[in-house]
Amino acid sequence: MIGKLTEILKECGADAWELQELKTEGWEFYFIRKKLDQNRVKKITDYRITVYKYSDDGKYFGSASAPVSPDETEENLRKTAEDLCYQASLVKNRPYKLNQPADAEKAEQKETDIAKISSDFIKAVNSIDETKTEDINSHEIFVSSIERRLITSEGIDITEKYPYSMCEAVINARNEKQEIELYRMFRSGTCDEKSLAEGIGRAMQFGRDRLKTEKTPVTGNIPVVLSTDDAVSVYTYFLERISTQAVYQKISDWQTGKPVAEGITGDRMNIRSVRYLPNSSANRLYDSEGAPIRDLQLMKDSVPCSLWGNRMTSQYLGLEDTFSVTNVIFEGGTAEEEEIRSGRYLEVVEFSDFQVDTVTGSIFGEIRLAYYHDNDMVKIVSGGSVSGTMRDFMKNMRMSKEMKQYNSYMIPALTRLENVTVTGAE
Amino acid sequence: MKAPFSEYLTGIAEGLKKLTAVLDQEFDYVSILASDTKGLNIRVSGRSKSVSNETVQTERGIVVRTARDGYYSEYATNLFDPRDIQSLAEQIRKSFEEQNQIMKAAGVKPYETPVLNDEPLTLFVEMETEQLPETADVQSIVGRLTEITERESEKREEIRDCILSCRSNHVSKMFLTKNRDLRQSYVFSEASAYTLAARGDRSEAWHEGASGRCGPELFEKISECAAKASDSAVSLLDAERIVPGEYEIITTPEVSGLIAHEAFGHGVEMDMFVKNRALGKEYIGKRVGSDLVTMHEGALCAEEVSSYAFDDEGILAGDVTEIENGILRTGICDALSALRLGTVPTGNGKRENYSHKVYTRMTNTIFDSGESTAEEMIASVKKGYLLVGMQSGMEDPKHWGIQCIISSGHEIIDGKLTGKIVSPVIMTGYVPDLLGNVSMVSGDREVFGCGMCGKGYKEWVKVSDGGPYLKTKARLG
Repeated sequence: MIGKLTEILKECGADAWELQELKTEGWEFYFIRKKLDQNRVKKITDYRITVYKYSDDGKYFGSASAPVSPDETEENLRKTAEDLCYQASLVKNRPYKLNQPADAEKAEQKETDIAKISSDFIKAVNSIDETKTEDINSHEIFVSSIERRLITSEGIDITEKYPYSMCEAVINARNEKQEIELYRMFRSGTCDEKSLAEGIGRAMQFGRDRLKTEKTPVTGNIPVVLSTDDAVSVYTYFLERISTQAVYQKISDWQTGKPVAEGITGDRMNIRSVRYLPNSSANRLYDSEGAPIRDLQLMKDSVPCSLWGNRMTSQYLGLEDTFSVTNVIFEGGTAEEEEIRSGRYLEVVEFSDFQVDTVTGSIFGEIRLAYYHDNDMVKIVSGGSVSGTMRDFMKNMRMSKEMKQYNSYMIPALTRLENVTVTGAE
Repeated sequence: MKAPFSEYLTGIAEGLKKLTAVLDQEFDYVSILASDTKGLNIRVSGRSKSVSNETVQTERGIVVRTARDGYYSEYATNLFDPRDIQSLAEQIRKSFEEQNQIMKAAGVKPYETPVLNDEPLTLFVEMETEQLPETADVQSIVGRLTEITERESEKREEIRDCILSCRSNHVSKMFLTKNRDLRQSYVFSEASAYTLAARGDRSEAWHEGASGRCGPELFEKISECAAKASDSAVSLLDAERIVPGEYEIITTPEVSGLIAHEAFGHGVEMDMFVKNRALGKEYIGKRVGSDLVTMHEGALCAEEVSSYAFDDEGILAGDVTEIENGILRTGICDALSALRLGTVPTGNGKRENYSHKVYTRMTNTIFDSGESTAEEMIASVKKGYLLVGMQSGMEDPKHWGIQCIISSGHEIIDGKLTGKIVSPVIMTGYVPDLLGNVSMVSGDREVFGCGMCGKGYKEWVKVSDGGPYLKTKARLG
């Protein structure tokens, strides 16, 4: 198929082209309590072709793309390529240069043993201690071996193999009066038994506490501490606003060399792209357009130093040598745990759905479980919501020195936002 | 015109039937779902343009479902060669056996489930459309979108960009068993406008869309969507933050739809009943809303993005009355969950695509209309908000909590809109309270299908939802 497609793309009249082949072999297991709901197998090969055309006067450079099936006839493939050439000629974008072949970091590419990883997941979940009052309601295991090949008219021909895993777990906790549930999704390269056990164990503790909640009191604006993966949304706000897409589309007005806010009195944000994080599902050598992924400082002391993003928007901003980041480390925390967890504050550990809007900076989330601290007094609370804007929070937010990894993101273990609007439920 | 059924699927049908026959010799049940969806996806903004023949829904592949000894198993592939049935059958056997070995080693037992019904049925449906995505006039669409985005960007100095997206999908699906041969094709489309506006260091955005079970002719509506999106985005630049508290609210049809979806859409997906994950199971026949609340769900309820003739398990589309005058009557159910619960499936078994598992999923979830007018409803509010524009929501079927992120609240004092706007608005509360306080319902209704619905944080499928204006009380923050 690759040979046939390459030949067709060379002959279709395109000024440039890309061909991606994605082979996925996946095993899935779905459990209700300890019993198997279903087992599933996937064996899929997807192809996607993109063609580029200059306008006759060379002022514009357009592209058009399409998925093609592995069993498509040669006649249909040729027609698809011709149609794409026509469609690309209608797309009047400013010209930009496509990626050229470049060496990435040398790394060993191992075969993925999906049977072993699946077995590890099944055993790992089965070995988690359950009690009469806290247990796993249901869980789903997804293990994939992925092989991606990218070939372009510019001479790029790269192949990468990597594992991708997910485990979704629903945890119940109950007393005589009620039963509650907590949802967890773990993403990783292969099975990380320790993280899985810790994550589910912590959820069971939260479940126990959630059975004892009072209504969230009317507190007025107070500091909020985030200590779970919900905090990732706070950090991705910073990351997305230094993407070339956001800057070029004017979603973000952040610029390299200029602080993201004036009068910062809290911790200053440092962001690093890293090619590798232990057992991340995003450990790649190249991005989707064939640019090598490398370690790179993106923000230093709350001042963007490098933007990241796709080829087109990077070139439009006059940037070469960019790439789409995969693994990211957010640093800059100077606080010890005692400083972050001090005074009167609300530590929210379960939201219905915590969100940070990249455009407006607004944060919002309904509180399902939180710990309201007023110096030595602690109340376990539920209900109400948090809101506010990152435009204000980033001036005085505090971050712990201690770090925690959530798949492809490494973030401070504790994050404290000041003066958050908390709507009580009383 | 009729949306023609896929020539590709027609071409492999006999081969798939042979595969079914081969596997039938050793499994208690065998079905095959084959899908072929073509798409068109055009995006134009003031800054860049793109054309693709790929959408989230484009796909071509098959999924084989088998049952044996209590185990339900599936094999999904897009590498089907009708000339070599035996090799694929062997590959399926081998893969399931390899999985069985690790399950056996771990002591895994199946969730005992009877064998699925395979009553004889044939169906061939080609639904109406004016145009097809494959033959749409891309040049004309790109040109029109370019004009509109330029018009909107020049309208106000605060407008940074107006991003227009048009998507259309031509769906063909074929469901085969020993006794069933169901084939359907239809087209659904979406048009959406997203305007970014900024003043000083404040940025706001507004999304406005249109959708329907129709072809690219729907894209004509994008001009109106763009104009609304731009006006609304600019108006948000003057919006204030709401003072948190409980208020009388009037929900616009879009927000009513979000409530329908989050409150009793997810809450009565009966695969959750099998897992004891939904409080709704204990409330069948009990009151969950005021007398004014009636809600329907089903692929036959509207002609929208999820209005098919049969679902991904070969069950014919339905129209279920979930809530009738405030009383919870029933839920929606996929075929396997129905067997496990001893009930009947409702035509709500859906997959993200052929390679994903079936879950019970919503199609069109809609509140019924009432008898009031929106003007009467606003006039009846002492102090509250008209809620306009939805961003997102989150369900909590186990505890009936609800979180809806709404784009704006328009202040109402003494029965009149004051012109003051608050944004964003987080509506939270307990579903039976929210629906129990519904005191007025408008006589009109609208349905919206531009969004996607996830199960947890994955398995994204197209759904629509809507309803009339509702008056109730809610906690806003």
